[in-house]
Amino acid sequence: MVDLEKVKPLTGEFLESIGFYWHTDEDKSPYIADELVKVTQEEADAYYEATNEIYDMFVEAGEFVMENDLLHEIGVPFNVIEMVKQSWDNDVNWHLYGRFDLAGGLDGKQIKLIEFNADTPTALFETAIVQWALLKVNGMEDRLQFNNLYEAIKENFKRLVVMGGDTEDFSKNYDGWKILFSSVRGSIEDENTTKLLQSAANEAGFGTDFAFADEVEFDGEEGIFKGEENFEYWFKLIPWENIGIDEGDLALILREITENQKAIILNPAYTLMFQSKAFMKILWDLYPNHPLLLETSYEPLEEKKQVEKRVFGREGANTVILDEKNHVMAQEEGEYENFAPVYQEYVELNTDADGQSYQAGVFYAYEACGLGFRKGGLILNNYSKFVGHLINN
Amino acid sequence: MKKKYIRKISDYVVAGGIGALVIAGMQGCEKKSDENAFQEASQVKGAFVVIEQMENDGYTIVEEYPSATTRVVVREKDGTERILSKAEMDKLVADEAIKIDNGTSSLTEPSMSSGAPGLGSILLSSVAGAMLGSYIGNKLFNNQNYQSQRRTNYKTPQAYSKSNDSFKKARSGGMKSGTKKKSGFFGSKSKTRSRSLFGFGG
Repeated sequence: MVDLEKVKPLTGEFLESIGFYWHTDEDKSPYIADELVKVTQEEADAYYEATNEIYDMFVEAGEFVMENDLLHEIGVPFNVIEMVKQSWDNDVNWHLYGRFDLAGGLDGKQIKLIEFNADTPTALFETAIVQWALLKVNGMEDRLQFNNLYEAIKENFKRLVVMGGDTEDFSKNYDGWKILFSSVRGSIEDENTTKLLQSAANEAGFGTDFAFADEVEFDGEEGIFKGEENFEYWFKLIPWENIGIDEGDLALILREITENQKAIILNPAYTLMFQSKAFMKILWDLYPNHPLLLETSYEPLEEKKQVEKRVFGREGANTVILDEKNHVMAQEEGEYENFAPVYQEYVELNTDADGQSYQAGVFYAYEACGLGFRKGGLILNNYSKFVGHLINN
Repeated sequence: MKKKYIRKISDYVVAGGIGALVIAGMQGCEKKSDENAFQEASQVKGAFVVIEQMENDGYTIVEEYPSATTRVVVREKDGTERILSKAEMDKLVADEAIKIDNGTSSLTEPSMSSGAPGLGSILLSSVAGAMLGSYIGNKLFNNQNYQSQRRTNYKTPQAYSKSNDSFKKARSGGMKSGTKKKSGFFGSKSKTRSRSLFGFGG
């Protein structure tokens, strides 16, 4: 049973004062739960270790995908395949951050990887800032949280310059390359998540600016611009598959820009490969029966309770839970039916006294660096709630 | 692509400049007019400073970042945290200015130091203080003792060099004259939505 501690919630006014405007869901219910999941230090450590181990497996499996030309097989749109390869081959393409979704980890339940949101993970603000503020406002000790996410991202920004070296040497090596941050106009969540990252880059010592995606100017030979100003890095909170599918022209220009080494794009294109749910099948092939993995296949699994998902589905859309006899137990409709399906062994999430399911989200920025939870029904959809945590032995 | 794990779960979390907003908001001293916490995030006009009280009752600078407005958090020995009000900061700076004039400030006369630096001299050692106290700037910045003393008022050399990194941002803008630039991508996706356009799975 998930153990919870009731806390005084943060008011909408307070959340808005720190830039967090998406505190209320469309059905008017609060998006941030007024309770914290109690996690022991050992459980937090286990999430940390597991996440680091999984990332290593992703890197190994990524190498396997490249060597065996499997990008098409795992659903990467054809017009970004070259960028995925090119970004993988050049170390300047540093993976800034991602979020692993995990089942288990509490109550002695084995941690299992559900998927890796490697490209444009959300819930960053909630994990880094909001759950920390909950501790503060409730007079709890703020070290009692597995959460150095903001600091870890700041450090990782410095690695864009020092690479494998010491981040203390950033100023010695920084020669003024600037980062332009972009999100798509029309979502305050995307905009302020992007601006939170911009603040972290700023504090790391980078020159930065923000522009909505539609304001950014691209030139295959010259690079990426806001007005007349050229930027060496472009951070986009826009999924790579949307660039490939919705804006094919942009994909072409970006390919030219990166081939001409006129800009470095964050997160790198290879994160799209990590993001594909079909990558989970590759992992299972390479690490069969690994305790952190769930069996995953392109074909329905035999005699097993399982989840059918689309390789690039989001918010639980187009997800079907099937029992051992392939009968539908739960289903969410969606707009992703054109993507290929994958079948992943079903795993029960940790649940609370009300039967609500909890999925852990562990952020990774060079190493595991922040834990948060999402609570909802059998399939976690866009009405699921964010739940912070408290380390409590 | 090889990664090495260098740090474990952090001992202390300061969420950067946003952390200051959180603490300010908790104390109700944040103006409601602050419509966007990230407005002009790239325009450094102030600093966010965390000052900590030491065992000997003196103070030291733990963290310092550029931010749009100046905020100074003081963490006392007993763990309580508060934000200095503008009036408090002005008074600390003014009091220290008098000491500088009298030659009794440890900032300019290290020999006057009684061992434990007070809040006023620590504040003036920080970038925030230097911004607040710009009217006494000449008294300080041309003083060799001040320059060397500043460094020692940071808790660790890392805190000092981190602070210097953050404020030393390059602003060299490349110019271009080409005409092949394309823009307007993802302009049509604009349906307004408070949540992410791409969902949490992203």
